[in-house]
Amino acid sequence: MRASSLLSEALAVLGKEWTSELRSRVALNAIGLFALTTLIAVAYQIGPYRISEADRPFLLAALLWIILFFAASSGLARVFVKEEDAHTAKTLRLAARPAAVFAGKLLFNLILLLCLEALIVPLYCALMGFAVRSVAGLALVLAFGAVALASTATIVAAIIARASGSGTLFAILTVPLALPLLVFLIQGTRAAAQADAIAAVFPALRAIVSLAGVTLVASVYLFPVVWHD
Amino acid sequence: MLFLPAMTGGVRVAFDQIGKRFGNRTVLARVSGVLEPGRVVVVAGPNGSGKSTLLNILAGVLRPSRGTVSYRSGDGELPRGRWFERLGVAAPDMAVYEELSALENLGFFARVRGLRAGAGEHAALLEELGLGPREHRRPVGTFSSGMKQRVKLALAVLHDPAVLLLDEPSSNLDEAGHRVVAALVERFRARAAVAVASNDPREIAWGDARIELAL
Repeated sequence: MRASSLLSEALAVLGKEWTSELRSRVALNAIGLFALTTLIAVAYQIGPYRISEADRPFLLAALLWIILFFAASSGLARVFVKEEDAHTAKTLRLAARPAAVFAGKLLFNLILLLCLEALIVPLYCALMGFAVRSVAGLALVLAFGAVALASTATIVAAIIARASGSGTLFAILTVPLALPLLVFLIQGTRAAAQADAIAAVFPALRAIVSLAGVTLVASVYLFPVVWHD
Repeated sequence: MLFLPAMTGGVRVAFDQIGKRFGNRTVLARVSGVLEPGRVVVVAGPNGSGKSTLLNILAGVLRPSRGTVSYRSGDGELPRGRWFERLGVAAPDMAVYEELSALENLGFFARVRGLRAGAGEHAALLEELGLGPREHRRPVGTFSSGMKQRVKLALAVLHDPAVLLLDEPSSNLDEAGHRVVAALVERFRARAAVAVASNDPREIAWGDARIELAL
């Protein structure tokens, strides 16, 4: 029997991911550059004054999640694709429990997304004049949105990693899976912008948490099959 | 030679009528045999005869199109999902993390395997396999092919496996490296079920039994 817990094995995978990423910076550069470029382009073309006061919460919430979603899509698939490309997947498959691999890579993608949000959201609010009335509500939407997006991206990345043309496949599979989630993320962000009370985001938040839960539970059953076969 | 403490107890690997097809192409046809502690089985045959495919099936990373493989220890038959716990593999299609140093690679794989050994033991293992202290903290991406092969061999034996599968273990190694692999196989001969896939006459000579595959 193993002396270690699943958590410590997952943390080992997370630690390896971060060490590799900080040395290669491929995902960090891809996500960061994409996010900053689109943010600057949107801010330059639209800015804080070209949208009417009434339309502002709707449009700015949608634009924020478009930037975050597509920036994330440019880097999150790498957690599994790079293992296949570098021929380390088999080495990992023959050493680690599938649950530890999935949990470690999910945590890595989650932290990456939270860092992206921490960088982009304040900049976006400042450049676009996006006034948020319930900061705590927005923080909840961002946090649970990151969990849901990271879960979707991680399991899709595992599914497409062994296919040729994995980048295209990742977009094709992720967009329909993430579309309902994006709708609720935009709704929750809009609610946080419009209402002072944190409770205003709860209807959207319930849907986001449900989608994250469904994705996580499905991933727990699906990943060992995807990983070994 | 130093090996890190892990699970003890022998494992017997039996494979019966193994066949593998990729599309219309038959790569393996009805191969049977047994791996058990006390003897080294050599898998030989020309290029494309299915040596690596057979080892992949025995390792559980590839499903056979027909036939069965079973891992049996004192506790009974091991489920396929747990074979990897008792298994060490070194093969040309496996790689280690190039951004990490040799010590970091060993440290990572020890942690995911739940081993408690520290950097001192890992350094000793690398030295046993011919990697001096100066190489331990360099990124593996800066290593020669032979040095990477030594790191892969260290990963294969890190957890003192009960089953050791070596696919062309001396590839990219110099004469000294070949002697290191020969010593490694000799150490494991008594304690583990060992299979070596090779066309190298020196490696074929290590075998107590031989499975000859044909095209």
